[in-house]
Amino acid sequence: MKTLEYSRVNETLYHETLPNGLQVFILPKSGFSKTYVSFTTRYGSVDNTFIPLGKDEIVRVPDGIAHFLEHKMFEKEDGDVFQKFGMNGASANAFTSFTRTAYLFSATENLYPNTELLLNFVQAPYFTEETVEKEKGIIGQEITMYDDLPDWRAYFGTIENLYKEHPVKIDIAGTVESISKITADHLYECYHTFYHPSNMLVFAVGAVDPEEMMTFIRDNQAAKTFDKPERIVRQFPQEKMEAAVKEGSLEMDVSKPKVHLGIKLPALAQEGLEGLKQELSYQIMMDLLFGKTSKFYTDAYEEGLIDESFSTDFTAEEGFAFSVIGSDSAKPEELTRKIQDTLQWASEKFPFGQEDLDRQRRRRIGFFMRALNSVEYIANQFTRYAFNGMNLFDTVTALEALEVKDLQEVLVPLTDEKARTVFTVKPPANKG
Amino acid sequence: MFTETRLTQGVRLYVRRTEQFKTLTFSIRFKQPLTAEGASERAVLANILEDSTEAYPSRAALRQALETMYGTLYYTDVGKRGGYHYLSLNAECVDDRLIRDEDIADWTIRLLADAVLRPNLQDGTFKSQVFEREKQTVLERVRSLYDDKTRYAQQRLLTLLRPEGPESIRATGEETHLEALTPEKVMEAYRRMISEDEIEIYVVGAVDEEAITTSLKEAFHFEERVPAVLPEKAVRGTGKQGRVSEKQNMKQGKLHIGFSTPVMFGTEDFPKMQLTNGIFGGFPHSKLFMNVREKESMAYYAASSYLSRYGLITVSAGIDADLADKAVKLIDEQLEAMRAGEITDTELGQTKAMLANQLREALDSSRGQIEIFDQYKDLPGGFTPEGWIAKWEPVTADDIRNMAGKIDRQLVYLLSGKEESADENA
Repeated sequence: MKTLEYSRVNETLYHETLPNGLQVFILPKSGFSKTYVSFTTRYGSVDNTFIPLGKDEIVRVPDGIAHFLEHKMFEKEDGDVFQKFGMNGASANAFTSFTRTAYLFSATENLYPNTELLLNFVQAPYFTEETVEKEKGIIGQEITMYDDLPDWRAYFGTIENLYKEHPVKIDIAGTVESISKITADHLYECYHTFYHPSNMLVFAVGAVDPEEMMTFIRDNQAAKTFDKPERIVRQFPQEKMEAAVKEGSLEMDVSKPKVHLGIKLPALAQEGLEGLKQELSYQIMMDLLFGKTSKFYTDAYEEGLIDESFSTDFTAEEGFAFSVIGSDSAKPEELTRKIQDTLQWASEKFPFGQEDLDRQRRRRIGFFMRALNSVEYIANQFTRYAFNGMNLFDTVTALEALEVKDLQEVLVPLTDEKARTVFTVKPPANKG
Repeated sequence: MFTETRLTQGVRLYVRRTEQFKTLTFSIRFKQPLTAEGASERAVLANILEDSTEAYPSRAALRQALETMYGTLYYTDVGKRGGYHYLSLNAECVDDRLIRDEDIADWTIRLLADAVLRPNLQDGTFKSQVFEREKQTVLERVRSLYDDKTRYAQQRLLTLLRPEGPESIRATGEETHLEALTPEKVMEAYRRMISEDEIEIYVVGAVDEEAITTSLKEAFHFEERVPAVLPEKAVRGTGKQGRVSEKQNMKQGKLHIGFSTPVMFGTEDFPKMQLTNGIFGGFPHSKLFMNVREKESMAYYAASSYLSRYGLITVSAGIDADLADKAVKLIDEQLEAMRAGEITDTELGQTKAMLANQLREALDSSRGQIEIFDQYKDLPGGFTPEGWIAKWEPVTADDIRNMAGKIDRQLVYLLSGKEESADENA
C-alpha cells in the first residue's frame, strides 16, 4: 500500500493496485461519521461502439445501454440490492455519465458488510429477459421525466447540435425507442467488456481505517476469479472542430425562453499536471469572461438579459470537450448577441492580466479547500480525474503554476466562431 | 452540539467548535411570522442585501472582494418553517490556518456585519436601481416555478389543500405583492427586521469559542427585542377535497396526493409518524417504491414526504397519466396494508436504520449541523442526534398500524399533458 501525503491540504491518500488490476484509493477524514465508498467503471454512454471481450469485430449497441445496465445491476435472483443496503442502514445509489458508471453507498455503521455488498453486487451480473423487459417501464418514465425538464432539454439540445456523430450527442438514458431493443445478451456483452476490475476504481473516504479497509478489499478480490485483462477497443468517429448545426429550438410549456450557447472544444491535449492546468485555464477563462465579476455579467444582469438561472459549464473527458453558457431570458436574441460580442471582444485583444489571474487563482484555491469538506466531491472528482490521467490533489500545485499565457492559449478555441451553436427552448407561440 | 450564548433578549448565538472542516461557516437568521406580503418584502430584501454593501457598493465590487478572499462564499436566503419566515445571511470562508497569509475569518465577520448593519443606501433608502433589478429577479424566480412541473404540481397541491395557510405561502413571496413593492416599503421591512425579529447566529468550525463570541458581540449591536408569538390556531382556509386535474403541455403525468394527519412536529407521536412515513414512501425499500416502481414498473419515482409542521403527508409520482386511477388505487392499498398491520420486522428495522443513518450523515456538513440543530433545538429536553435516534428504537409495528390510521387522504391532484401530446409513452 502506497501512502501519498498532501500537506498543503492536510490529507493523506492510500493507494494500491490489486493483482486483478483494480485500483483502490482510501482517504480517511477525521471527525466524519459517515464513510462514502464508490465503485466505478470507466464505461459510460459514449462507449457504444467497441469490440466485445473475446471477439474480433466491432459492434454498435443500442443507445442508453450503460444506464440501463446500471439499473439492472441492482436486481438479483434473491431480490433487490437496495433492500440489503437498507437492512445495513446504508443509503445506496448509482449514476451513469458520458464516460463513467458509478455505484456507491454511504453509511455510518456496518462499513464492512456494506463494502462487501457493494463489491459483490457489482461483480455478480444477473440479467434475464423478463427482468430486462420489466425495467423498460421504469426507465421509460425516467426518460419521460427528463423530456419534461426544459433546462435539461436546452442543455442536451445544445450538445446534440454541436456534434455530428460523436455519441456524446446522445442522451445518456437513450430514448423509449432505443431501450426497447435492449436484451439480456446485450447487457452481458457490455458487462463482460467493461466491468473487468482492471477497468475499475474503488474510492473509500470518510470514517475509515486505511489498513483495515485495504486488507478487506484485497481479500474480497483475491477470493474471486476474473479473466485475464484485455485492452478494451472502443471506436469513436472523428469530428471536425465545427458545430454540426448552428441553431436549433424547441417549443415547451415554459414561462420564458431559455437560451444556451454551446462551444465545441478540442479534447485536453495532455494528461497529468499539464492536463489539469489546461482544464483549470478553461474554467478560469470562462469565469473571467462570464463569471459574476465579469463585465459581461454586470451589464447583462443590469440590462435584464439574464437572471439567477444564468450558468456556465465546462466539460472535458477523454476525446471531447465543450462549454455551455445559458440563461432564462426574455430577450434570447439580444443575449446571444451579447455573448458572441464578448467572445469577439476577447479574441481581438486579450483583455485580462496578472491581477485577474491572481484573483481567480485565489478563488479556485479556496473553492478546492471548501470542496474537500465533501466526501462525495472527493470520491467522484478523484475518480473522474484518475480516469483522465490526472490527480485531483494536484489542483493547488496546478493553480499555482498557471501563467497568463496559459489563459491566452485556451481563449483561441473558446472564441472560434465556427465551433458555436445556439439552442433555444421557447414558450408556445400564443404565450409569453 | 452547540454552545448557546444569549447576546440580549431575542438574540442568541450558537457556536460549534470542530476540526472536521476546512472552512468556517456563519449563518445569521432573522425570524418573523409568515405572511404573503412579508415574504415578498423580505425576498427582495434578501436579494438587495446580497447585492452590495456600503463598503462594496456594487455587485461586481463585492464579488471581486470575495474572490480575492479565497472565494469566500456569501449569500442570503429565505425559507419558511411552520408559521415562520426566515431570512438568512450566510458565509463560509477557508480556515485561516490553511492559507497562512490572511485574516479571512475576521474579514468575513466584518462583511456580514456590513451586510446586516451598513447596507448600500442612497438618501436613507435602498438605491432604486438595485431595488428594481432585484424585485425583477425575485419575480422571475417566482414565475419560473411554472417551468419545473414537479415543483409546480406540489405547490398547486398545497395551495388547493390549505389555500390561506402558511403551507401554501411561498417563502419567495407572491407575484401580486411583489409587483406592489417600493424601495420605501422594503426599507421599512429592513428596519423592522433589524429591530424586531428574533435573531439566531450560528458558527461552525475550528474557532475559539470565547474569542468568536467577543468578535461577534463587537461586530453586531442588536437591541433587545420580544420575539413574535404565533396565534394559537392558524388560518388554513377551506381546502379542496376529492380530486383535481389540470392540464399543461407536457408528457408525463405528475400525480400528487395530499393526506392530513393530526400528528404534528414535537408531539409524542412525532417520532412514530416519522417512521410511518419512512415505511410508506421515504426510502428505496418503502412500500411505495417497492410496489409502484419495482413491482408494477409504473414510475421512476414514487415517494412520500412528511410535512410535520403542517400535519400533512404528500405523495408524488411521475406516471403515465392514463394509469392515474391505477396508481391512486395502488398507493391507497399501501396505506391500507399499513392500517391492517402489514409491517414486517425487516421493513421496520430497515427504516429505523435508514433514518438514523440519514440523521448522522446530515451532520457531516456544517450546513447540515446548523439546519438540523435549528429545527430540533426548541423541543422539550433539547436535542442530541443519538438522543433522537433512541426515540425511534422502541417503535413497534403496532405503533405504525396505529399511526397509519391517523393519515387521511384529502386530495388527489394530477397535472398532465393535453390530449394531443399525452399518449406517446411506451
